[in-house]
Amino acid sequence: MTMTTGGALSQVSVGDAQVEMFSGGSGPPLLFLHGAGGNSGWQGYHEELSKSYTVYVPSQAGFNGTERPDWLYTINDLAHFNLELVQALGLDQYILMGSSMGGWVAAEMAAMGAPGIKSLVLVDAAGIKPEQGEIAEIFMVSSDTRLKQRFYDPTQVPNYDQLTKDMTPDEQVIDHGNREMASRLCWKPYLYNPSLPHYLRKVSIPTLIVWGRQDAIIPLECGTLYEKSISNSNLKVIDNCGHSPAVERPQEFLNAVNDFLSN
Amino acid sequence: MVEVFWFSEQPYGHVQEEDLAPYESGRMHFPNTNFDPEKAHVLYNNYHNQYALADEVGFDGIMSNEHHSAYWCMKPSVNVDAAVIAKVTKRAKIAMLGNVIAVNDPVKMAEEIAMLDCISGGRIISGFVRGTAVETLHAGISPTENRDRFEEAHDLIVKCWTDPGPFRWEGRYFPHRMVNPWVRPMQKPHPSVWFPGTGSPESVIWAAKHQYPYMNLGSLLDLTKQLKGIYFETAQEVGFEPGPEHFGYLMRCLVADTDEKAQEIGRTFLWTEAHRNRGPVEFNDPPGYQSREALRIKMSRPLIGTGTMGKRMSYEDLQEAHNIVVGSPETVIEKLRYVKKDLDPGYILIYGNEGNMAHEDVMRSIELLGTKVIPALKDD
Repeated sequence: MTMTTGGALSQVSVGDAQVEMFSGGSGPPLLFLHGAGGNSGWQGYHEELSKSYTVYVPSQAGFNGTERPDWLYTINDLAHFNLELVQALGLDQYILMGSSMGGWVAAEMAAMGAPGIKSLVLVDAAGIKPEQGEIAEIFMVSSDTRLKQRFYDPTQVPNYDQLTKDMTPDEQVIDHGNREMASRLCWKPYLYNPSLPHYLRKVSIPTLIVWGRQDAIIPLECGTLYEKSISNSNLKVIDNCGHSPAVERPQEFLNAVNDFLSN
Repeated sequence: MVEVFWFSEQPYGHVQEEDLAPYESGRMHFPNTNFDPEKAHVLYNNYHNQYALADEVGFDGIMSNEHHSAYWCMKPSVNVDAAVIAKVTKRAKIAMLGNVIAVNDPVKMAEEIAMLDCISGGRIISGFVRGTAVETLHAGISPTENRDRFEEAHDLIVKCWTDPGPFRWEGRYFPHRMVNPWVRPMQKPHPSVWFPGTGSPESVIWAAKHQYPYMNLGSLLDLTKQLKGIYFETAQEVGFEPGPEHFGYLMRCLVADTDEKAQEIGRTFLWTEAHRNRGPVEFNDPPGYQSREALRIKMSRPLIGTGTMGKRMSYEDLQEAHNIVVGSPETVIEKLRYVKKDLDPGYILIYGNEGNMAHEDVMRSIELLGTKVIPALKDD
């Protein structure tokens, strides 16, 4: 696959499926897995990370208008699919990073004992059931509510206007499909796997867990549960930040990630 | 000859606009603390008395349904209601329209419906429905699964009714290694199956492909004719010649001794109409509830809509469109004759009460329908 800077778009064959892939940069490979809202493309934080890493940002199977393989129903299925994607990309050693639902998928991949995961970064990751609080409802709510849940303080979100502008008809179709796919994968149990904390006990990959302190979708408590479950992990909490630190507090997010990866 | 069925949604008529207004939706957000079981007891028994009278005065059948988290339909189980109908009536057919089979265990559905068929002496018409999306959400099931679960449940229920047990079912959603329901339906090979719809052409096509009668639930006449056309086209592709017996139409209808009185009572058909399905689209049509194929069909047929095609229509407009029919027996006979001529349905399903219509008024309407209107329609 040809590497270019700036998030080049390509297609990667995985079994019978085609995976849409943004990629760019140079250096050790870093695979980024998006959340339930789908792949929003090459973002500023991808560009920053691409200065030190070869960053891969796939649209996971069934998202962003891609066809869902007919056997793929669960997060576990998606994790297996992504491991095949890793093989297709020829990654021997890579950093695995996932945000929200993508963090859950990344944790499942690590729990499968897949080879080659050098470091793991989980960002406000779904996957573990909170013991005290609840994971907020994201499917049976309006789009306005979803947007409000996502950020602690919209005024500090760079390019917030871009997130709230009216979608084109094509974008609406993609958004509809993304929410359909997320509903299929995450409905029940709702955004967690009760067995995952037990699976994670055998994971010894160096792991950074990043969390927005005011995450209104997946409570910070889940970050502490991830930290408890993965022996070689460290939780970094970003203050005054909601569910999407890479979008809401990009510099603090990048500082946390770079500190971890450079060590 | 057209058959006429009585239908009541069994509303909890004590709810008013101001009770509903503060909530994000009229269904899942509207707190059930507004439900008073003592009042419901009275209402249920009134509705059952209405069933008994409809049977006595000559309705061909009684239709029932179920909804969940709905103040306008106090029936969370159509099978429970059908059991009541079976016992308070003697001759009327019992059309369940129907069981939300995607969200229930199909083997239990097959057993219960077979039991109802035996109890009623073979009077059951077993409708299967996908339900509104709220039914699926209320059951805690992903709306993306509804279609596939519906298909599998349908196939398994029919197999329970027609294939000797025990047998094995390795389905995705309802795997059973031993299926052997003791109770089997009285009607052979099984009770007639109906399938309803409002505006979805996909529903019509599904019904036609299975040669099941399609019941349109009160869409405007032009839209209904278009949907009927799709049914007939599909039937021909499948290779059967459909007739009126494959098509029914539900309409709101009330008869009183005078037009004036009927007009006054009939206004209640618009009871809390703005609220009943109000809510975010994520409740009414969440991603994945409709197939991508359904969306494609809709886009390829620009006239297709749902019900009143998004139009807010006044009481007078709805009467003009024959969507609500109220009046004296003479007036109602004339209007139903128009609908009958326009649609040529095998079944007219009378949605006969709403909200807090007085029980006595509804009983009088049933009596007039049975003694005057239905005989006139049958004489045509």
